[in-house]
Amino acid sequence: MEALQQFWDGLVSQLSYLGKLGINMLPGLQYTVGLFAVTVLLSIPLGLCLALLRNSRIRVVKGLTGFYVWIMRGTPLLLQLFFFYYGLTFIPVVGPYLTMGRFQAACVTFVLNYAAYFCEIFRGGILSVESGQYEAAQVLGFTKWQTNLKIVFPQMLKVSLPSVSNECITLVKDTALITAIGVTEILYFAKSAVNRDVDVSAYAIAAIIYLIMTYGLTKLFNWLEKKFHY
Amino acid sequence: MSMITVRDLRKAFGSDSVLEGVTFSVEKGETVAVIGPSGAGKSTMLRCLINLESADSGEIRIEDQPLLDNGKYPDEKARRKICSKMGMVFQNFNLFPHLTVLQNLVLPPVNAKKYTRPQAEEKACALLKKVGLEGKEQSRPSELSGGQKQRVAIARALMMEPDVLLFDEPTSALDPQLTGEVLAVIRELAREHMTMIVVTHEMGFAREAADKVLFMGDHVIIEEGTPEEIFYHPKDPRITEFVSKIL
Ligand SMILES: Nc1ncnc2c1ncn2[C@@H]1O[C@H](COP(=O)(O)OP(=O)(O)O)[C@@H](O)[C@H]1O
Ligand SMILES: [Mg+2]
Repeated sequence: MEALQQFWDGLVSQLSYLGKLGINMLPGLQYTVGLFAVTVLLSIPLGLCLALLRNSRIRVVKGLTGFYVWIMRGTPLLLQLFFFYYGLTFIPVVGPYLTMGRFQAACVTFVLNYAAYFCEIFRGGILSVESGQYEAAQVLGFTKWQTNLKIVFPQMLKVSLPSVSNECITLVKDTALITAIGVTEILYFAKSAVNRDVDVSAYAIAAIIYLIMTYGLTKLFNWLEKKFHY
Repeated sequence: MSMITVRDLRKAFGSDSVLEGVTFSVEKGETVAVIGPSGAGKSTMLRCLINLESADSGEIRIEDQPLLDNGKYPDEKARRKICSKMGMVFQNFNLFPHLTVLQNLVLPPVNAKKYTRPQAEEKACALLKKVGLEGKEQSRPSELSGGQKQRVAIARALMMEPDVLLFDEPTSALDPQLTGEVLAVIRELAREHMTMIVVTHEMGFAREAADKVLFMGDHVIIEEGTPEEIFYHPKDPRITEFVSKIL
């Protein structure tokens, strides 16, 4: 009886500790979700523009966007994060004007980095649209923009959706990187709690929060893929 | 005034000469069949007419407007304007797969501000009925047979009310039992005196429905005449050989 009571008290205090941890981490969620939202909302349109430039017939434009994509995909995201947060300041003359807050630097880095990935995804999607579609649009009097907007992009989206979905799930997990420049997101709180309480539970709570987010995204994209099926 | 006048049209892909001085004209209301062996340049000639390819030299006049004048093209805006008088039906249909049949028909005239959406929908339904596809408005192209797809493509081209329709082997991608339904639609247009150029391997169709037949071989038009002349009294032995092989 005594032992059961003890077990019960232990369980209650453990659960209330976990609950408290979870609640304490919630302020971190604003940065995690905020960075995710900013990155998705800005890097997808930017990636689409880059994809159009990357498929451009003008050699210089094509080359420059190719170079940009090569740099952004060929170097670690963490390095880029350090570069934009710590590094820009040291550029002669303009450096002081480029100094950003932690979260601002994180947003800039993620948008620029993810735009490069989306660029390559969309470029593949655009190339998968058959030349006959452009020809039909031309003889039916579509302008270049009408062709892109109403014929090419919707077809590209269908092809690209699975890769976009992958990229968004990776993005959720990548947001944890910004703890390295001291943004107080979820992992930041988890790490402090682990060090403070000498208890690993906080990492488990953080993991569950990430899992909930990636699970939700997976469901959302499955639904989108069904909707875009034709 | 001829509907289409082509004079000494030349075109090469790199060092590969494909059109070596093609000359012909099409009168208003005429159905012209273009026949000839594969690789003769029939598709290239048709694509030059509607500015999907640029020719190297020669002259193309559409309703007396110069699309190509002495080897020179006008600016893009002028080319678009001239080509807007023509429609084209492709071998592979080229329907927009992400749109329903009705949307395929409605989008082009709405884009071009030719019709409001309700007007376009009304016209689309009437044209679908005409090509025998009433009730397919909400289908996706992937749900249709090849013959149905091609009939949608013809209806879509007609939505823009072209003065001329170009067909590039409209039945070549179809199972043999489906060619009839497509050819019937084209024959009906011929009866209504739609001006058409039809590149085809359907000799029966060329013989019965065409007012004029062009035989194209070796990158030029070898002979032009009535179906009677081309099929029964050809002057060139290459035509005799081609016709006997294919019939
Ligand atoms: N885009 C292209 N690039 C290079 N060669 C081409 C192209 N289109 C057609 N050709 C060549 O031009 C020749 C004529 O082709 P085409 O006009 O399609 O003939 P047809 O329609 O009479 O069969 C062929 O030898 C073909 O290989
Ligand atoms: Mg051909």
